[in-house]
Amino acid sequence: MKAHRNSRCGRRSPAENACKVGLLSMLAISIFLGLLTPLIADDPKPDPAGIVTGDKTNAVDGGGNSFVITEPTDKAAPSYTQAKKDYDEFKAQADKEPLAVKLADSVGHVRVATNAAWTLNTGYLVLFMQAGFALLTCGLVRKKNAGHLMMLNFAAYVFAFIAYYAVGYAFQFGAVAVNAAPTNLGGTPTLNHFLLGNGLWGFLGGKGFFMAGPAYDAGSNILALFEVVFMETAGYIIVGSICERITFWSFLLCELFVGAILYPVFGCWVWGGGWLSQLGNTMGLGHGYVDFAGSTVVHAVGGFCAMSLSVVLGPRLGKFGRDGKPKAFPAHNIVFVVIGTFILLFGWMGFNPGSTLGATDLRISVIAINTNLAAIMGSATAMLFWYMKFGKPDITMACNGMLAGLVAITAPCAFVGPTSAVIIGILAGLVVCLGVLFNDNVTKIDDPCGAISVHGYCGLLGAICVGLFADGTYGAGWNGVGATTYLGKAGQGVTGLFYGDTSQFLTQVMGAAICAAWAFGATFLVFKVVNSLKSMRVSREVEEQGLDVPEFGLPCYPEDALHASEF
Amino acid sequence: MKKIEAIIQPFKLDEVKTALLGIGVDGMTISEVRGHGRQKGHTEVYRGAEYKVDLIPKVKLEIIVIDARVAQIVQALTDAARSGKIGDGKIFVSSIENAIRIRNGDSGESAL
Repeated sequence: MKAHRNSRCGRRSPAENACKVGLLSMLAISIFLGLLTPLIADDPKPDPAGIVTGDKTNAVDGGGNSFVITEPTDKAAPSYTQAKKDYDEFKAQADKEPLAVKLADSVGHVRVATNAAWTLNTGYLVLFMQAGFALLTCGLVRKKNAGHLMMLNFAAYVFAFIAYYAVGYAFQFGAVAVNAAPTNLGGTPTLNHFLLGNGLWGFLGGKGFFMAGPAYDAGSNILALFEVVFMETAGYIIVGSICERITFWSFLLCELFVGAILYPVFGCWVWGGGWLSQLGNTMGLGHGYVDFAGSTVVHAVGGFCAMSLSVVLGPRLGKFGRDGKPKAFPAHNIVFVVIGTFILLFGWMGFNPGSTLGATDLRISVIAINTNLAAIMGSATAMLFWYMKFGKPDITMACNGMLAGLVAITAPCAFVGPTSAVIIGILAGLVVCLGVLFNDNVTKIDDPCGAISVHGYCGLLGAICVGLFADGTYGAGWNGVGATTYLGKAGQGVTGLFYGDTSQFLTQVMGAAICAAWAFGATFLVFKVVNSLKSMRVSREVEEQGLDVPEFGLPCYPEDALHASEF
Repeated sequence: MKKIEAIIQPFKLDEVKTALLGIGVDGMTISEVRGHGRQKGHTEVYRGAEYKVDLIPKVKLEIIVIDARVAQIVQALTDAARSGKIGDGKIFVSSIENAIRIRNGDSGESAL
């Protein structure tokens, strides 16, 4: 034991040094960019105190119609006459009642404050999902690796956060005000610059490195808190497939990669006003690519990154016999698994309804019910599927089924009705069961906690379900498409294939495919290289003994120290 | 002196203890053990893959008594521990050379 420890500490391989140099240079580049960006753009001033965020322009009615009518500038526009008339009427009334206009400033501020409270608190719920994931994944593995699992979950939060703080947030939301300003939070006007691309073809945000400068703003920080915990979700999803065999140093590299690059890039394309979200405006493809709360942006990115890493690492020792038959390594603590799943369900009440970024959007109630409906149907389906196929319902699969329903409803939750939510839950329950059997028996990719099936496969399902089941009752003007009329109807929102919009369905299929390709491909490229420089796997002896003591110097259950490797 | 070693089903422990106390057995030592007999355990399915449960949890009782009591105790033990199904366990009887009470050094049958 002692000799082993010394040998690991004593050597510093060139690969390890290369990784460090890579990290340092990444940090240096991002600091440089952070300093540079204020110079290249003409900036609105950030509002760190939150005093001027939210004024009369934020005083809007339930339909989002503003109290203030601005003066039209484009005299050539066909609607100019009507717009000018509306403006003149507003101006005359405002001049007559200056107190009302002043009051509207307070109303607007309170509206933003209400939304801030909602968004922050739902963000705190999402943060708590970290505890749920830690319990779930720890319970699902063997006893000898329980401490290892806890450390991975813990370090995921810490290190992915560092990467997101440094560059991830800027990459994802550094240009959000260009096409996708979060008006519920005051619009974050300071985040207005694409590092790569511009206008409707943005590829990477470029403001707010180190959450400083333009991002040192009350509105932006509400967004940052809410979004960083979403990134963390993708960050800990990968733990579920790479555990029980990955070295700690390479895990930290994975987390930095997810927080700095993998997650923010796709996040920028969909939520940061990037090119995928603008396909409706640029190519007439529905409302652009729509993912309400992150079936793909968060879950499929995490799931396919996990799949890629699992392929690079290879399966756990003994997972597949000489004949290729999968062997079971039973969960060591079912109580952790079930409680973890319930904590995740609870956290999802922040994940989905919170993604409105505002309590003034009353659709949150529909979203909350849809989310629960899909969760219970996913669980029921997985439970019954296993009951019928294997004679006993598997508790861990019932839990996976609930999470599968939740993952699949995450993208469509705001756009569908209850019947569709139930169908989506059932589909997700089937996909996760078939996915687990498929990975074990066909692809032979080892996935200890089912992360690939739950988050990867069901994430794609969720995005496609938007394109099938969206009923057009919500999301008018989504991604800047169809603000006045869509499909010939006023107020028509995001619409799926079953309700008459084929282009939305095609967009969703394409976006989901791009997500899987990006998450799997980018991860594979980077970590295949890392793994060839220095193996990311622990040695055979360490894996057999369990990773707790060799990697962290402490067994999770010291009372089992005498015969820990039996479990 | 004889040692009676009984490997029984864990869920039968309470019944066995009550039965033994009922016929005046003063002391016993119990340990949790795992093992298998002729059936070599059984298989279960976890997340679609099979695994073998080959070492099944059991409870082992050890009782040291004077020779004259062996038959009665074995009878009581057998009656209390029997469910009639496979896996009820086994009883072994062996001779003991000596016994010593640590507190005062008593030895032989008076130490029991």
